[in-house]
Amino acid sequence: MNTGAAGTPAAPGTTPAYALRVEHLNKEFAGTRALNNASVFVRPGTVHALLGGNGSGKSTTIKILAGVYTADSGELEIFGKRYDLRDYTPATAQAAGLRFVHQDLGLFQNLSIEENFALDSGYPTRGPGVDWRALRRRVQALLDEYELPLRPDQPIYSLRPSDQTMVAIVRALQDQTADSQHILVLDEPTARLAAHESELLLEQVRRRAALGQTIVIVSHRLREILSVAQDYTVYRDGRLAGSLVDAKPTEDELIALMAGGSVAALRPTGEASHARTDVVLHVKGLESGPVRGIDFQVHEGEILGLTGLVGSGRSSVLKTIFGEHQPSAGQMTLLGKPYAPTSVGEAMDAGVALVPEDRAHEAAFPEQSVSENIAVAKLKDDWTGWMPRGRERSRAKELIRRFGIKVAGPDALFTSMSGGNQQKTVIARWLNRAPRLLLLDEPTQGVDVMSRADIYALIREAAAEGCAVVVASSDLSEIHALADRTIVLSRGRITAEVMAGDLDVDGLNRLVLRERPLSTDDAPESPEPNA
Amino acid sequence: MSNPPQTTETVSIPAKRTPAGLRILEAWAMPLLTVLVIVFFSLNPASSTAFPSINNINVILGSIAVVALVAIAALFPLISGYFDFSLGAVAVMSQVLCAGLMAKAGLPLWAAIIIPIIIGGLVGVVNGFFVTKLGMSPFVTTLAMSMLISGLMIWYTDGQTIVSGIDRSIFDFGSSRWLGLPAVFFVTVAVAIVTWYFFTHTPFGRSLYAIGSSATAAKLVGIPVTKNVWWSFIIAGTIAGGAGILQLARQGSATASDGGVLLFQALAAVFLGATAIRPGFFNVLGTIIGAMFVSISVSGLTLSGASGWASNVFNGAALLVAVALSTYLGRRKRGS
Repeated sequence: MNTGAAGTPAAPGTTPAYALRVEHLNKEFAGTRALNNASVFVRPGTVHALLGGNGSGKSTTIKILAGVYTADSGELEIFGKRYDLRDYTPATAQAAGLRFVHQDLGLFQNLSIEENFALDSGYPTRGPGVDWRALRRRVQALLDEYELPLRPDQPIYSLRPSDQTMVAIVRALQDQTADSQHILVLDEPTARLAAHESELLLEQVRRRAALGQTIVIVSHRLREILSVAQDYTVYRDGRLAGSLVDAKPTEDELIALMAGGSVAALRPTGEASHARTDVVLHVKGLESGPVRGIDFQVHEGEILGLTGLVGSGRSSVLKTIFGEHQPSAGQMTLLGKPYAPTSVGEAMDAGVALVPEDRAHEAAFPEQSVSENIAVAKLKDDWTGWMPRGRERSRAKELIRRFGIKVAGPDALFTSMSGGNQQKTVIARWLNRAPRLLLLDEPTQGVDVMSRADIYALIREAAAEGCAVVVASSDLSEIHALADRTIVLSRGRITAEVMAGDLDVDGLNRLVLRERPLSTDDAPESPEPNA
Repeated sequence: MSNPPQTTETVSIPAKRTPAGLRILEAWAMPLLTVLVIVFFSLNPASSTAFPSINNINVILGSIAVVALVAIAALFPLISGYFDFSLGAVAVMSQVLCAGLMAKAGLPLWAAIIIPIIIGGLVGVVNGFFVTKLGMSPFVTTLAMSMLISGLMIWYTDGQTIVSGIDRSIFDFGSSRWLGLPAVFFVTVAVAIVTWYFFTHTPFGRSLYAIGSSATAAKLVGIPVTKNVWWSFIIAGTIAGGAGILQLARQGSATASDGGVLLFQALAAVFLGATAIRPGFFNVLGTIIGAMFVSISVSGLTLSGASGWASNVFNGAALLVAVALSTYLGRRKRGS
């Protein structure tokens, strides 16, 4: 069912009930039905959450709305105006008032805020040159309007992460006026932000919504969504699984809608802990980068959670244990023996594995096959004078089956998989080495709910087999669901230790947010990009 | 709890798949094109008498041997994601030094062969130091090194061609035949087989592919990235040194030059090679076929009476087309 001519105006004098109306949307990719009669209704002046697992069709819908994909059929109405989806382009989307802010913000890190604005909207000119003063005035006015305490000449890299996102939002909305309203589409806006940064950002999103801004938000972090959204549209397998208007659903209700089945793995481990009493890793007085003297132990079969704000030293602890950073003080003992790795290779030989935080840059070999991506961590062990390609492939096949990785086969390229399956492959790479100590940094960042459940099951399975596991995460529901015991880091020191079941997610959140006051022996804070 | 995670959906393949027939054609298009070029120059009236002669085939095979050897050298840094533009100059340096050490310094043949090859490796050590330890752009570093070396060689030879005083036995080797084919060709084939083994069947070779794909990720799976990239420059310099010795054996004389023609033909061979056998990836067999294509085409053009500029135009065009094709194939592989 296709619409008629593009841009048929709504009947005069009526206010459209919906800022955005999408119905009967269909899209097929090479025989796979990505969208099957899907729909979204967004009321003006509301925050609307679009939810669903990977492959549920929510990204496809966003891309159709942005004009990146062309729908096979469907109806689209924006602010009461109908658009023909067959010749709907990014320019149409822009003209219709849709504004997108993607997970990758598309900001030029080394340029100032004002230049980032001007590159989008054009530089104001006076005579032959750029009218810098006019530009600065305009950008300053916008920043003031959005209550951002920033100066137009600040370079993007100097801003805190949540402000960077806000700058991207203001830039997207810079030409919005009272007569020409925009719909702001936020695609995973908090995926790269730490908990308190997300909180700051969401607070500002709420404030914009209160002023009547229409916002569509896509996110994996359900707790955050629940704190901002009024309306919910949930997709599952390309179909509409549920639509909630002005509702206050619980996280469990949303997960049930998205997953449509059992999500037992998302529940806390509780008594299912496999922790035994044998200590695998003992850390004493460790100092490294922002880490200022910490002591802890991890036991065989235990899942230890490590959490804290950005800059608390979560990642530094893992990187130091993995031999990537050298500690400036302290000792470590692994399986009863002194352990001081000077390189990643040494740490690996000692039975340590690390699943890094930034999958795309630190773990992926994009143009290599799944089989090669798994075998790459075992090249030396596998070598018999020849590289056993056949064995590599059959082992990859076995891991693909065991871990439920959705991929065409061991020879498929790493990049042909979705984010969740890529992450499973990276975990498979390390579990294939049968590590004694498995370190994971943000193991489910940007991973959909279903893959997340699979990954949790994988981690638990490894622990059940006796592997000691350390999970560093800023996602407290993840820590809550996974960890047998949790250590809270603040400014490089341990401020709390919590056993599973002692606190709920909110309790953990309160512990994390209560930052340790700076004491005199703290060195001046140095920004740490990867923490 | 220890049950494997259940997956609810069936396996879905998002990327469109190329039909098997088309994939085979893609992998073998380059060899096919090479055969077509041979047929063309054999039938083309302008070259049909000289081109298919036994004599010319041996000349072509000799030239393939040298181009392919420099191309194999270039594979090492290229697979790990780096360029080495100094390899042409290193080959010429080795050719000149080998001749000069015999003619000027009166060294015995074995020393005159080994010393230039070692110096080739040392150039790789310096290149690798600049690129890996100091983080300098491999592009500019090796280009500068190329200019520096060729300048030194012009100083060493005084701009003269070294003809006399070279041990006859090296020239005898260069013109000798085994099984009816030039002996130098077998040297290249032997190096190619060892290189193939290196890239596909050693952890070191596999690690170079991994580094070329993502150096950061390679470091985090325990690969000594700096060390291996450094070695790739050293091996490249050493092999290019060997190519210079082969060139001397073929030509019997040595003239200092910047080695630009050799470098360009070798690069074209490597990139054309990345369109064949394993499309989108640098590989040894493809590189040999690429070298054949380049050498045969240049020979055919020359024998058809094309002027000197024609082979330069051909080398440049071949490199452009090769890079374009391999970039396109690589991008399609990555699905972006």
